[in-house]
Amino acid sequence: MNENFEDELRRRLRAVDAPEGFAERLMAALPAERKSTVVAFVPKAAHPARHFGVPAALAASLLVAVFLGVRVANDREIEQQKGIAASQQLMQALRVTSQKLDLAYEAVNSPPTAGDEENRS
Amino acid sequence: MSFSATQPMPDSLLAQARAGDRDAFATLVRAHQGSVFSIGLRMLSRRDAAEDLAQDVFLQLYRKLESIESLEHLGFWLRRVAANLAIDWLRRRPYSDTQPLEEGAEIAAQEVAEDPLMSRELMRLLGELAPHPRAVMLLRYQEDRDVAEIAAMLDMPVNTVKSHIKRSLTALRGQMIGAKLIDCEELP
Repeated sequence: MNENFEDELRRRLRAVDAPEGFAERLMAALPAERKSTVVAFVPKAAHPARHFGVPAALAASLLVAVFLGVRVANDREIEQQKGIAASQQLMQALRVTSQKLDLAYEAVNSPPTAGDEENRS
Repeated sequence: MSFSATQPMPDSLLAQARAGDRDAFATLVRAHQGSVFSIGLRMLSRRDAAEDLAQDVFLQLYRKLESIESLEHLGFWLRRVAANLAIDWLRRRPYSDTQPLEEGAEIAAQEVAEDPLMSRELMRLLGELAPHPRAVMLLRYQEDRDVAEIAAMLDMPVNTVKSHIKRSLTALRGQMIGAKLIDCEELP
């Protein structure tokens, strides 16, 4: 039966003894003092570079941010001015075109003069 | 201090070992060395490799005593580390391929007086199993751990553990019957 075979396995697979003197050899190989894996918090001695490192980095970041912000604002303003100039040029061109069209319209719709009739005949 | 794995050990022993008491640590080692060494021996099929593995396991324990919560946890931790380390070593170097199980007779003589041939054959067949099923079988039948515990020790699903046990039992029984070491009538 399956249980019989499993029992047989249990019986034949019992743990065996470790070699003679195993524990003694192991204890001799252990380091004299056990190093704890728990690392205690020990404040480190102040170091000038480390002391100012973080604030300096923050200040530098702030400066870069301000510089980039100003640059972006300037670029926007230049772009806006270019846009306004282009728009003004367009309006000017439209006005000129409109005036020309008015003149043409007047020329077409005005009654013919005597000189005109003579020229035709 | 002298305790065996079967004798109950006081919980204070672990605290003493953690506090740096080397005698207390040695007592913990003596209580578990047979189990750890046997896992190494039956996984790696070599006494020298098994002793190296057991040393490695207990050195790791010495460094990580703080993380051991109780004596029960200690037993779990040692078996888990021993089995996984053996699997890892087998991946790097297949010990059983390079060294036949010449210790089989020795183990058989030590643990089971009658029918040493059967014990030797069983060790040989066990050595032919792949590392993971071999570890599962040892934790189940040598260490008498339940399926859920084995799954936790080897980081594998419970169903995989069950499957390894079923397949390995079938294979071992089949080969033992083939070698006429057990009766066909024992088949279910």
